[in-house]
Amino acid sequence: MTSAEGAGRSSGRRILIVGTGGQGVLTAARLLCDVFVDRGHHVVSGQLHGMAQRGGSVQSSVIVDGGISPRIGRGRADFVVGFEPVETVRALSFLSEQTVVYLNVAPVIPFVLGQQYVLKEGDGRYPDVEKLLSCVRESTPHVHTLDATEQAKASGSTKALNMVMLGCLLGSELLPVSAEQFWSFGEARLPPALRKVNHAAFYRGVEHSRSFHAGVVAS
Amino acid sequence: MAGKHEILQDRPGGHLCTLGNLAIVRGALEAGVQFFSCYPGTPSSEVGDTFARIAEDADIWFEYSINEKVAIEVAFGASLTGVRSMCSMKHLGLSYASDPASTMPYVGVEGGMVIVSAGDPSLITSPNEQDQRHFSRFLYYPVFDPATPEDARLMTRYAFELSEKTRLPVLMRPTTRVCHSGGMVELGALPAKRNEVRFVKDPTRYVPIPTNAKRMRMELSDRFRRAEEMLASSPFFPRTGGGRRGIIASGIGYAYVSQVIEDLGLSEQMTLQQVGAYPIPESVLLSFLDEVDRVLVVEELTPLVEECVSLAAFRNQRSVEVFGKHSGHFPIENEYSPDLVEDAVRRFAGLGARSVPSVDVPALPARPPVLCPGCPHRTSFQRVREVFGKKTVYCNDIGCYTLGYGEPFQACDVLLCMGSSISQASGIARTTGQRTVAYIGDSTFFHSGLPALANAVQAHDDITVVILDNYITAMTGFQPSVTTDRCHPVASVRKEDEVHRENGSPFSIEDAVRGLGITDVFSIDPFEEGTAREALKAAKTGRGVNVVVCHSPCVVNDRRSRKEQRPVFAIDQDACNACSLCVRQLGCPAIFVVDGEYVIDQDLCDGCELCADLCTRDAIRPVAAEVAK
Ligand SMILES: Cc1ncc(C[n+]2csc(CCOP(=O)(O)OP(=O)(O)O)c2C)c(N)n1
Ligand code: SF4
Ligand code: SF4
Repeated sequence: MTSAEGAGRSSGRRILIVGTGGQGVLTAARLLCDVFVDRGHHVVSGQLHGMAQRGGSVQSSVIVDGGISPRIGRGRADFVVGFEPVETVRALSFLSEQTVVYLNVAPVIPFVLGQQYVLKEGDGRYPDVEKLLSCVRESTPHVHTLDATEQAKASGSTKALNMVMLGCLLGSELLPVSAEQFWSFGEARLPPALRKVNHAAFYRGVEHSRSFHAGVVAS
Repeated sequence: MAGKHEILQDRPGGHLCTLGNLAIVRGALEAGVQFFSCYPGTPSSEVGDTFARIAEDADIWFEYSINEKVAIEVAFGASLTGVRSMCSMKHLGLSYASDPASTMPYVGVEGGMVIVSAGDPSLITSPNEQDQRHFSRFLYYPVFDPATPEDARLMTRYAFELSEKTRLPVLMRPTTRVCHSGGMVELGALPAKRNEVRFVKDPTRYVPIPTNAKRMRMELSDRFRRAEEMLASSPFFPRTGGGRRGIIASGIGYAYVSQVIEDLGLSEQMTLQQVGAYPIPESVLLSFLDEVDRVLVVEELTPLVEECVSLAAFRNQRSVEVFGKHSGHFPIENEYSPDLVEDAVRRFAGLGARSVPSVDVPALPARPPVLCPGCPHRTSFQRVREVFGKKTVYCNDIGCYTLGYGEPFQACDVLLCMGSSISQASGIARTTGQRTVAYIGDSTFFHSGLPALANAVQAHDDITVVILDNYITAMTGFQPSVTTDRCHPVASVRKEDEVHRENGSPFSIEDAVRGLGITDVFSIDPFEEGTAREALKAAKTGRGVNVVVCHSPCVVNDRRSRKEQRPVFAIDQDACNACSLCVRQLGCPAIFVVDGEYVIDQDLCDGCELCADLCTRDAIRPVAAEVAK
């Protein structure tokens, strides 16, 4: 599972980014779109998120050099960038055996589970993370997991989670933009105060990705 | 051009990846729009919010109107002076504004006028779905139905020309998926400014009293026919591919189906016809029907295209088989998805169903929206609930406070549409004599609550109206409301109404309410427990219509201008006896129960103190704010 991953698909590259409100999914999607456009690619993107920004599920698609549809069909995502385990499993129908997945294993506990009084059904627990990961692995062999929240924290702020995840995606070298090209484009567009943190976070993601794709087992 | 919004780039021929809503703005700018009004509403809000940001640079008259009816009327007035005008709203807004909208085509515009009314199939952020394409038949509006941002730009630009040539106001109707999807648009030229305008008096032309309206009625049919002719030669009905099997598609369905037939390798074997506008010119339908014998219609909501195709075939003796909603290939409810479209195309093309591997998935917890930590509405609900109790009937309205529905406040027994809390309370209180509270926000109150309140006064109803003034239109993305002080940060106006006015806001809810003859008017800050409770008790025992105005800023908006970080709170595990009061009564998403222990997530806590006030054991106390929060 090296350079053959994700190759040989129909037109374009279909990337799905999923997470919860406040994790920086939309910013990540926007940056990706902009860098592809900057490098002369054709891009469409779509958003799926409900009523309020506050803590809900967020799905964002970025389709590079594909057609005009902003949404990805069942089993047709080339890449899934999962910021959160439950949200990644929610997006399972987009996966096929060829989909490459980068998955942050750190859960965001939905507040309904923290306050059981509103729970009318279910067992009131966040599903077992290992069980969630094995669901994803059952769909595709190309699953790369890491604790990206921890990596972001180690870079200086949990807010840099999206940069770790983008680092994973772009470090794969499976997209028509390299990690270096992305960073030199992206850095000017990020808040200057967080530049160092974001840089560290992004390259932590890149390194992880490179070690995954080199077949080295990441701890 | 430093500092200017990217949508203002003067770079003809260049490309930009932008949202459908922004592409509409760009199309309007390329058409030389000079006047814009709107009332926010998802999924249309980015149209108005973008105009708000560029109005000064682009030299455009701009307003967030008090409601959609006013927005349309103001823009129509501007159009009568000869300027090109636009206004935007969500589908519900156009329903609200349908009175002026229904007569505008009769009177006719002078400067081109385009109404953007965004639809919401699948009720993603709305209580109903509507198919506004029917405005073409219902009220003689040419209606555009874009599939992509580039469609949205080109159609909007063209719509102004169509409007001016036919004197018809034109409807631009994108749906959520088009509004909020990003795509490539080509940048067209931005025109130079137009000259000064004047309103030229001509009452027989502008006054639809019956004698004039009867004449206008006959002219309207001519003008609508002319619009159909123009559309017939417009670029919004492209046809691609070839073969006796045809697909005719509109809106986002067109985008999905073009991807699906590419993925299935059918692009070359099918004739694909887009419908970009209504009325669909019959010439378009006939030339399409010439090429095909079997047709699949792909359109969300009502079978409008489907019926037009069937009717055109029937009237012109073309024998084609038409598939779509009537044949069960598609539902009439909800938006489509690429998968739904793929299944229908496979069935239509005689391909087998696609097998999808199924994986056993554990039950996944939902993430429903909740009031933010520190939200003033939570505090108001808590105070009111304490005084008015469980038996009171709570009529709620449209805003963040709708989230008072369900546990723990049960602050929403009925809900209908903007402004309806007060009128529904009247109906319930008058017939039953039950204690009734109407909750309504600042923006919604001035949108349509004011007439309902006047009505309640006139009818001598016994109701309590609680106006939740958070100085902003929060739910739709923090647009200013009439109580927002635009010159001063909202943070400085936390206290009484007096302070608020000194800071320069022209509006006082209290003055407006007293002006209706209501004498029992109480101004409170919900966070001041004692005074809030006294006022609410007085309101509960009062007769007639009384009003409690709760002033406290939306914390999300307030945080942007807050100078000092408020201390956040933590629960002392030794003092906490797990009575669960804070969780059961507040529903603050910062408080969690982890393995029986009550804890506050300090990244989420906003430091409102409400839980600390409530705790009988004094277990909840402030901690120094984290440095790198
Ligand atoms: C007729 C109509 N127009 C617009 C909307 C969209 N909308 C939903 S909530 C809201 C306004 C809420 O403002 P406010 O009453 O001040 O409450 P807040 O969200 O600030 O608490 C609007 C405009 C709608 N639902 N119906
Ligand atoms: S956005 Fe503002 S008004 Fe809405 S729930 Fe959050 S704090 Fe409350
Ligand atoms: S102080 Fe208490 S109620 Fe207020 S935001 Fe923090 S945890 Fe929530």
